[in-house]
Amino acid sequence: MELIRLVNVLKQYDDGKVTALNNINLSIEKGSFVSIIGPSGSGKSTLLNMLGALDSPDSGQVIINGVDLATQKDLSDFRRHEIGFVFQLHNLLPNLTVQENVEIPLMDAKMSEKDKHKRASLFIEAVGLLDKKKQKPNKLSGGERQRVAIARALVNFPSIILADEPTGALDTKTGEKVLDVLRFVQESINATLIIVTHDRDVARLADRTIEIRDGQVINDFINK
Amino acid sequence: MKNPFRNKTRSALSIIGIAIGIATIVALGLITAGMEDSVQTTFNEGGAEITITNATNVGGSSGLLSMSLIDELKNMTNVSDAVGQLSVSESNQSFVQSRSPVLGTTVYGLNASKLNLIGIKNVNGTTYKEGSFEAIIGSRYADLNNLTVGSNLSFLGHNFKIVGIYETGSMMTDNGVYVSLKTLQNISNTEAVSSILVKTSEGVNDTLVSKNIKEKFGNLTTLTSEEMSSMFNDVIAILDAASFSISGLAIIVGAIGVINTMVMTVYERTKEIGVLKSIGWKSRKILTMILGETLVLTTLSGIIGSVFGILIAEVGVRLMGTDGFSLVYTPKTFIIAFGITIIVGIIGGVYPAYKASKLAPTEALRYE
Repeated sequence: MELIRLVNVLKQYDDGKVTALNNINLSIEKGSFVSIIGPSGSGKSTLLNMLGALDSPDSGQVIINGVDLATQKDLSDFRRHEIGFVFQLHNLLPNLTVQENVEIPLMDAKMSEKDKHKRASLFIEAVGLLDKKKQKPNKLSGGERQRVAIARALVNFPSIILADEPTGALDTKTGEKVLDVLRFVQESINATLIIVTHDRDVARLADRTIEIRDGQVINDFINK
Repeated sequence: MKNPFRNKTRSALSIIGIAIGIATIVALGLITAGMEDSVQTTFNEGGAEITITNATNVGGSSGLLSMSLIDELKNMTNVSDAVGQLSVSESNQSFVQSRSPVLGTTVYGLNASKLNLIGIKNVNGTTYKEGSFEAIIGSRYADLNNLTVGSNLSFLGHNFKIVGIYETGSMMTDNGVYVSLKTLQNISNTEAVSSILVKTSEGVNDTLVSKNIKEKFGNLTTLTSEEMSSMFNDVIAILDAASFSISGLAIIVGAIGVINTMVMTVYERTKEIGVLKSIGWKSRKILTMILGETLVLTTLSGIIGSVFGILIAEVGVRLMGTDGFSLVYTPKTFIIAFGITIIVGIIGGVYPAYKASKLAPTEALRYE
């Protein structure tokens, strides 16, 4: 079942001098794991921002779950309910505990404080950090921080998880663990996982890889 | 709640900046309220409306008035009563351990039946008998010198027995010592008085009576309670103006400090704001968060400033030796102080909060 569809998406910067995305057409199935690869400046992150409703195209359509994002009045609501972001750097709030960081997306959720704690704890447990839920991020290792960021991205049960170089700042072994956790939680909630990476080994873990260069899809294949 | 204190030094400096302004406002507010209260009590109803001194009299040390003048004044139209008062000062510190020994102690001689003209209506104990070596003292004077009914005072080589303690609410009157006029005249070898207190008839214009007295007795200085009150109120008005100027400065300096702190905070947290936006926080929520953090900072400054203001005023009043003066705690002082902290919080927080709320999430996430 198709979850995401991009139709002739064009995005330019500097008054049209730089074309980040050049009439991209793309379709992504619900529950799939897709990796996007390409060199720096190829348009990977811009594509991710489009999918995450953080940026809008100059022309073309971004359709998610049958809804054209251009028709949405408030994209922040859409992001809160549908998207979970995992960044290269965890970007956790340093003065909050692990538990509090994971609860941030639930702040406006219509549920009791107790239920919010429970939900956050469930995801902290899923990423294997229940014993560290009262600690501040500066007491955690790089891999652990990234796992907290994964828990935070998924706590709202998003239908799409967007990860921008989630292992980029980690060593290979820690990166593998983080990806395992990410994949495990993604499968648990049946979300669609889209990873942007430089690393072809990481890209190969996905069901499908889309290669981008100069704002265009130059390769799109299924990994065996 | 924790966010405003991430950079403890910067937040502390910001808090100190505002707290100093608030402390000044609170301290001055307490002092002026105390002065207003004291002035109101001093010129209360029932007391003498006009005080007469000799035109050559400076500080009560010379230019006494003849007792016969009292009868002449009593016979004047629109004067219902007149009473002579003699004040004698002794700067000898061995008299009693006064809290202001430099000024010494002033003892007033007044007919016991006329104490109501200076606002003394109730005496705990009894009043002195005419011609006796008995005295009544104000409650402040008693407290400051640890004196009670039955204690003795030594004045100009004579012992006075304290027979009563009074309280009027006026800092000046409550710091006084009153004895029989005859006794004080005897021991200071005079038959005159330092001043005459005049009570006017009901419903008459005190200023007009005062003018008539001046015209009749050219060498006298008259001061109506209204004029005295006005003089004090002028001083209070100056203090109020100073307080308002300081409030204005506090707002400007405090707001600049807060703007600086919060703008720096927003810059440092640009990426974090991007993350919050990416997980669905609305611009309005970001604006509320930054504004809320600013208000936390300024409210804390208000609390700290108020506590220090109270301490400064209390310690200051004691160190200045203003015996008999007490601070008056009114809600107005604290409402003004907290009103200013809220204004500073809003002025200081609006720009950084607006700036943060308008950050594009993609740019904020790219920010290094």
